[in-house]
Amino acid sequence: MVKHLIIKTFVILGMFGMAYSVQAADPVKIGFSIPKTGMFASAGPSQLNAYLLWQDLVNAKGGLDIGGKGRRKIEFVQYDDKSNPAQAAKIYEKLITNDKVDLVVAPWGTPHHFAVAPVVERHKFPLVGNTAASVALRKVKPGYLWFTSSMMPDNVAKAMTAMLKSRGVKSVAILYNLLPFASENIQFLKPALAKAGIKIHFEAKYPPDIKDMTGMLIKVKAKNPDAVLVHSYPGDSILYMNQAREVGINAKTQYVMVGPAIGFFRGMFKSNLDGIITMGSWAPGMKGTTGSQKFYTAYKKKFKGHEPDYLDTVEVYASVQILEQAIAKVGLNREKIRNAINTMTFKTIYGDVKFNGVQNGSTPSGFTQIQKGKIEVVWPKSRATAPVADKGAWAN
Amino acid sequence: MKNSLKLVLAVVLCVFLAGVAGFADEYILGIGFTIFMYIALAQSWVVLSGLTGYISLGHVVFFGSGAYVFILIWGLVPVWLGVFCSGIVVGLVSLIVGYPVLRVRGPYFVILSFGLAELVKNLVLINEARMYVSMRPVFGAPALYQLYTAMLLLAIIATGLTYWIRRSRFGAGLRSIREDEEAAETIGVPVAKLKLLAFAISGVIPAMVGAIFIMRSGIFQSGDAFTPIVSFTMVTMAIIGGSDDAPGPFLGVVFLVLLQELLWVNWPEVYMIILGILLLGFVLFIPNGIYGWLSEKYFGNKKNVT
Amino acid sequence: MDSLLSPQLLAAAMITGVLYALISLGLNLVYGTMRLLNVAHGDLVMIGAYVAFIAFSLLNIGPLVSMFGAALICGFLGWLSYKCVFQRLLSNGQLLSRLEENSLLLFFALSVIIQNLAILFFSADRRGYEYLSAIVEIGDVRLTGARLTVLIVGAVISAAVVFFLRFSLFGLAMNALIQNRDASAIVGINVDRVQMSSLIFGFGITGLAGALISMMEPISPVMGFPYTMSAFVIIILGGLGNLWGGFLAGLLLGVLEVYGVALTGPEWRSVLVYGIFVLILIFRPQGLLGSGKTAR
Repeated sequence: MVKHLIIKTFVILGMFGMAYSVQAADPVKIGFSIPKTGMFASAGPSQLNAYLLWQDLVNAKGGLDIGGKGRRKIEFVQYDDKSNPAQAAKIYEKLITNDKVDLVVAPWGTPHHFAVAPVVERHKFPLVGNTAASVALRKVKPGYLWFTSSMMPDNVAKAMTAMLKSRGVKSVAILYNLLPFASENIQFLKPALAKAGIKIHFEAKYPPDIKDMTGMLIKVKAKNPDAVLVHSYPGDSILYMNQAREVGINAKTQYVMVGPAIGFFRGMFKSNLDGIITMGSWAPGMKGTTGSQKFYTAYKKKFKGHEPDYLDTVEVYASVQILEQAIAKVGLNREKIRNAINTMTFKTIYGDVKFNGVQNGSTPSGFTQIQKGKIEVVWPKSRATAPVADKGAWAN
Repeated sequence: MKNSLKLVLAVVLCVFLAGVAGFADEYILGIGFTIFMYIALAQSWVVLSGLTGYISLGHVVFFGSGAYVFILIWGLVPVWLGVFCSGIVVGLVSLIVGYPVLRVRGPYFVILSFGLAELVKNLVLINEARMYVSMRPVFGAPALYQLYTAMLLLAIIATGLTYWIRRSRFGAGLRSIREDEEAAETIGVPVAKLKLLAFAISGVIPAMVGAIFIMRSGIFQSGDAFTPIVSFTMVTMAIIGGSDDAPGPFLGVVFLVLLQELLWVNWPEVYMIILGILLLGFVLFIPNGIYGWLSEKYFGNKKNVT
Repeated sequence: MDSLLSPQLLAAAMITGVLYALISLGLNLVYGTMRLLNVAHGDLVMIGAYVAFIAFSLLNIGPLVSMFGAALICGFLGWLSYKCVFQRLLSNGQLLSRLEENSLLLFFALSVIIQNLAILFFSADRRGYEYLSAIVEIGDVRLTGARLTVLIVGAVISAAVVFFLRFSLFGLAMNALIQNRDASAIVGINVDRVQMSSLIFGFGITGLAGALISMMEPISPVMGFPYTMSAFVIIILGGLGNLWGGFLAGLLLGVLEVYGVALTGPEWRSVLVYGIFVLILIFRPQGLLGSGKTAR
């Protein structure tokens, strides 16, 4: 790693003087924006890595199959959107009108999808979305945008309720971050729980910059619910993981929304994560998926042993596979690609995907659980790689 | 240059920029939109902070509040009336908020302005969660050339306002506050009233900019709308250009946005680093900004900057 | 409401408070002696955290050792920035007349530079490592080893620093500078030297705090800003430049955060913190513990 840093120094210094080399062949230009600086910079790699891996694997095969008429390599045109949605809109305009890219792939995060929606609509560029989930996305006019995510909050709520019922859960405690995706999940979860007759014994919402959860968790412990459902993002998920152990939350079902599926998070908690349920619907090599084990191995090889984010990276990769297969079928004509995306069924690492309107109509919302350090899909049963297990005592 | 000549040039430039909306490609319009947005913001910032010396590091509070007011009435009133209303509402509220806030001086004001923006951001976040509205997409916003023209209009108004205030009695009063607030008060300058007025004026245009901005970004979210980056960017642009008079922010914005278009494309992190180094250099070596430096060097009029 | 009496809650408040006190110390030192508004403060926390992370994952050195390395590295950055930037700022009459504003812009520039260099070198990915994660029981209180360590080490170090600055010769000189800059020069204090030392010292402690934080939180190049915010809230509560006040304010904010949230509901946490911050600035800018005189 020290050597690695030194090499990197040279690479960075070299960047100042290096001119871009031009490829001899005639590649397919694909554009996108990515948050390289700003608030979401640390989330960007989960998407960028999937794109880069895809480019590697496709180019290793000789390039994209253009409707059965030969192969062309992929060349990316990417810009930093500074974590700013308006900047993303500007970038997609630049990509389309100025850089004259052949196709575009998705920016990172729900707000950015809203920002670029009118741009791709206007220029009739098909865009398969990823890393975006909100029921508001369904209000996007069907046309040139699709959303690969299986985690639309209303569907997640249904899946969650069904999963809880299957485990005989009668009462829950809900903790949630005030940020949009978490509170949208709660908006649908609460009525679903009520309908299923599951009681909410404790509920608390907190701002994103919360520093301590002990007060909440002591109250949760006192109510002793069957399940604790924490709708959190990586930062607050870590607070929960530390302080729930301290306070001694021993519910048999504990859900931590975003975090446990990301590599660094598992590195921080290791065996303490056993039994924790999280959002996700994928594990390498699971049945019903195409090439997911190959993706996993290739990812670990390319990114020096790091694991992919089981939620975002997988979804992003599936979204570009969809594009790849549409191109293989109909070539580079964008109207034809659009029709293909609307009608075809795609074989991806995420399973078979067919769009229903703007959303993924095939992949059900689901949950994964960390079992003996491995991520297993535990819900829905049709996709499960292992049954849901009780959360045992904390490892230490 | 004679004043009349300057005016003619300015009018020609504005007419040309407005005419561009008709035929330029989207990319050019996008850059123009960004330039005008920051000109409007930086000019407004100068009215308060450049002239009075009350450095606001939380000007995004006006921008974000304007955006929030606008999204709340989105669909209920015609679009451009909505933009106007958001400016008026924020202006009125800032007259009330400004009263206690402007009693705080010096570094305390700087930090307070910063904290105020964070406070309002969190209030909006709670309010949104209470109403169970987590995503507020803006569907059916006006076309880019309309937004471009509206932003151009705001930039012109803001520049004109700064130019005019800087030369008015009002502006002289504001600058006397910067030189020595107590002394100004003793000789009968209505310090409190002037400050409050400057505060409100300096909030109205950013509020309208915020409203137009969310039509461009297609979504309102409190985290984005109140991001401190916007505050920092407008301050940086005004300081690099020169914060004592209208041409300053104009030059600062054009310089930085164009620099960004050149560098950011291939090396985003490097662009940010160069931006940082430039800012260091300007503060240390050219504290009067591009305009102050130019006018000292080429026009020989020593700008009075403290 | 018996949960309020829980010793667990008290321990949580102490951990939060000690961390706050430690984080704000460096900022207060830099502001107090030089009137520099350091908005790059959180980025020093970030550097400290990366030093600890790299030491742990590459060299297998624990954060309790590498935190001194982090302090040295950040201290060096303090020296560098003093020599390259702030010496000029503090010795130039025209710049000095708008010191706070100018320092703010300079630190903003440094923050942008540091953050983006970090992204270039370490990539923007979040990182984390497992260290002392087992639960330790002390009576009724159960804490992870890492959090207990942060509590003890943080308390010892911040108390030591506050006492050192109160009673050592260097501390007295620094204090004199905080009280009255011009007078200290007259009585023969080497102002330049003391300023440089405070910057080195302030940066160093902050780097050390960052190394401690890396034991509990994920690190990334953009992690710094929230720490800058909290540190500003604390030094305002305690009074700008008042080290002892800042220390107490840190503890107080920890208590306020943990108990306030337990009482009013976590939803209001940030509104409570920033609300108090704004109110204090408006009604009592000298801080809760400050004397009647404001710092200008």
